[in-house]
Amino acid sequence: MGPITILTVDDSPSMRALLKHALVGQGHVVHDAEDGVIALDWLNRHIPDLVITDINMPNMDGFGLIEALRKQDRYRDMPILVLSTESSDEKKVRARDAGATGWIVKPFDPDKLAAAVRRVTH
Amino acid sequence: MNTSGNLSAENRINVIQGDFYVSDDRGLVLSTVLGSCIAICLYDPAIEAGGMNHFLLAEPGGNSEIDPLKQRLYGAFAMEQLVNEMIKRGASRSTMKAHIYGGSNINRAMAHIGSSNANFARDFLRQDGIPISLEDTGGSSARRLDLKPATGQIRCKHIPTEDVPSSALPIMRPAERTRVGDVELF
Repeated sequence: MGPITILTVDDSPSMRALLKHALVGQGHVVHDAEDGVIALDWLNRHIPDLVITDINMPNMDGFGLIEALRKQDRYRDMPILVLSTESSDEKKVRARDAGATGWIVKPFDPDKLAAAVRRVTH
Repeated sequence: MNTSGNLSAENRINVIQGDFYVSDDRGLVLSTVLGSCIAICLYDPAIEAGGMNHFLLAEPGGNSEIDPLKQRLYGAFAMEQLVNEMIKRGASRSTMKAHIYGGSNINRAMAHIGSSNANFARDFLRQDGIPISLEDTGGSSARRLDLKPATGQIRCKHIPTEDVPSSALPIMRPAERTRVGDVELF
């Protein structure tokens, strides 16, 4: 698998740093944003291969971000993974209905994350 | 947040290793006993609510040592659960105040584990922009900790390690007790 471009969205700087460390270590190009609003602004100017987003964030949460992206033609089919401390079925269903491709529960395992990235981008 | 010598409570919740609790209940005290584990106490005066977590990053060295990245991911998870619950209640990183407790190096087998736990917690809070208003870490004694989450009052008492109940001793391999990174594709 060649390197892909990934946008990670998480309000915790520590989590963004850990996620970037893991994904860059897997050979990917990683950009990050601290909430859905900043992510949308970046996505208006760039098109990544994958978005990995947290759910609980200020300004615009992960659900809002996914819904906003799925309304745009160019992001209708792009894979979007949720990475969250939450694991309730209710939230997973809401994410799926909004258009998420999958859900990963924190703390993430770098190997499982790599496998999920491979599956949804190929 | 301030320290206090006497915290009376109508209800008391013991925050065990791997757990966290957030509340604005004025009759509640959150308690725990710490050895090499870390507890972070957060309080936000803007919402008059606070919380506590209790976690251990690492197991003793040797062949079975957990990958350092996985240790940090587990610690970040423990911190994020607490911070997220505070933010859900209306707190913000800039108005919250944090206290760090624990991280004792209580015996040779646990040498440096307490310090590495404290270092992780300090780095996480600084990186996330949450002000640390008090830190009581290190040393070789255990700590008994009480927090009134609605007022931010805290009592931390150093106690001899021999007085720590076995139920409060740290459990190793935290990553194995947690379902790590479950992936569900829709």
